[in-house]
Amino acid sequence: MASISLHTSQTLPSLLHAKTPKATLCQNLSLLSKSSHSQFHGLKLSNVTHLSVPSHSYARTSILAKVSEGSLAPPFTLKDQDGKTVSLSKFKGKPVVVYFYPADETPGCTKQACAFRDSYEKFKKAGAEVVGISGDDAASHKQFASKYKLPFTLLSDEGNKVRKEWGVPSDLFGALPGRQTYVLDQNGVCRMVYNNQFQPEKHIDETLKFLKSI
Amino acid sequence: MAEFKPRQKNSASKTISPKHFYDEESWKTPTSIQRAWFASGCTTLLISVAKSLIMISSRSTGLRSWIDPVVAAIVGYVLGDLGTGIYHWAIDNYGTARTPVFGSQIEGFLRHHDHPSAITKRHIATNLYVGAAGFTIAVFPMNIFCTNPNLLAFAAAFLGCGMFCQQLHAWSHTTKGKLPRLVVALQDSRVILPRAEHAAHHHPPFDSHYCIVSGVWNRFLDKYKIFWAMEMIFFFIFGVRPRSWSDFNSK
Repeated sequence: MASISLHTSQTLPSLLHAKTPKATLCQNLSLLSKSSHSQFHGLKLSNVTHLSVPSHSYARTSILAKVSEGSLAPPFTLKDQDGKTVSLSKFKGKPVVVYFYPADETPGCTKQACAFRDSYEKFKKAGAEVVGISGDDAASHKQFASKYKLPFTLLSDEGNKVRKEWGVPSDLFGALPGRQTYVLDQNGVCRMVYNNQFQPEKHIDETLKFLKSI
Repeated sequence: MAEFKPRQKNSASKTISPKHFYDEESWKTPTSIQRAWFASGCTTLLISVAKSLIMISSRSTGLRSWIDPVVAAIVGYVLGDLGTGIYHWAIDNYGTARTPVFGSQIEGFLRHHDHPSAITKRHIATNLYVGAAGFTIAVFPMNIFCTNPNLLAFAAAFLGCGMFCQQLHAWSHTTKGKLPRLVVALQDSRVILPRAEHAAHHHPPFDSHYCIVSGVWNRFLDKYKIFWAMEMIFFFIFGVRPRSWSDFNSK
């Protein structure tokens, strides 16, 4: 299986992290530089030292766990747009594209969702499933999915717990939830990470390109 | 895929007052107050230029004394374009006709999206009196108290762009045949807002090409999604959606 070597860089501390669009801004000062640096125009995240987690503890989850290439994605259970509980383990056995996006009904996220929709058949042909995650609630996802006829699952990560657990970096000094996509293999191991806040359609191109290469 | 359906009206039409906004006869004939403010703005600008020249010539220590204020004025002109873009973006996307202070401007800008050529029917004093009033209030004290020609040149150029941008905007909506040759030449050389440059702003969701002095900042601001980033930040901090998102989502 080909693998794309992606790295993340250790940079400034993550300063701010907005909880939800309607909530007040929640400042989360972290003195330890744990979050990777995202670049607005995607491309690859540059290299980082991972957290000091021993290799045998990939299966262990922690609050500071970060999903990167080669690591086992921590499990989650979230509600989908229909209010049903969905676990990551449901997708075991086939590749899954998990994309974190800032919010429903914003231009970038709409473009991204529609691009995933329009290429959904290609993802299915590659044997992969697509899952979108944001901090919006199930009702918002339902409206969003219905309006744009999205054929894939949208999960509600209220409180952005999974986003934090997976280490999705924020943009603009923490003011903006990051836009990051992970490709997990059939065993739930991360094989690719792609970050690009302001060119959302590129997530589709890059993940499809990767899926075709493996 | 959702089909794009071109719309002339944008979502702002729902937020603005239903009263009949247009009174073309009054636009062609400015009121005394409008004339007075326009005149005061122009006079203030001329005084700024004159005072700058007097200060430079009285202190002149060589060519540098003349170059610096000219450079300052050019910087003011360039930044003025950026300033109009930021102001235009804010007015187009936030607030309503009922917003204090800015409400009537917001209404005017949004009606303009519905009827873009109406601005060409306005007398220059009707078009500019608001900017001229602001210019007078801001720059007149500087004319009295400012002793730095560079600062005065910068302020006059920067704020002068704000005063005259609505006329440059009106010219960008005017057909070539109705414009003076000098204006056309300045547009074609991109010294002032070219017609095609501004036309790019006038289609839903009205989310680009906001600068209206020369448009020199538009490419940078749009390429690097500066306004989109600001909208996202405002959304996540204040929970306020810009109007352009409603127009985007209604495609």
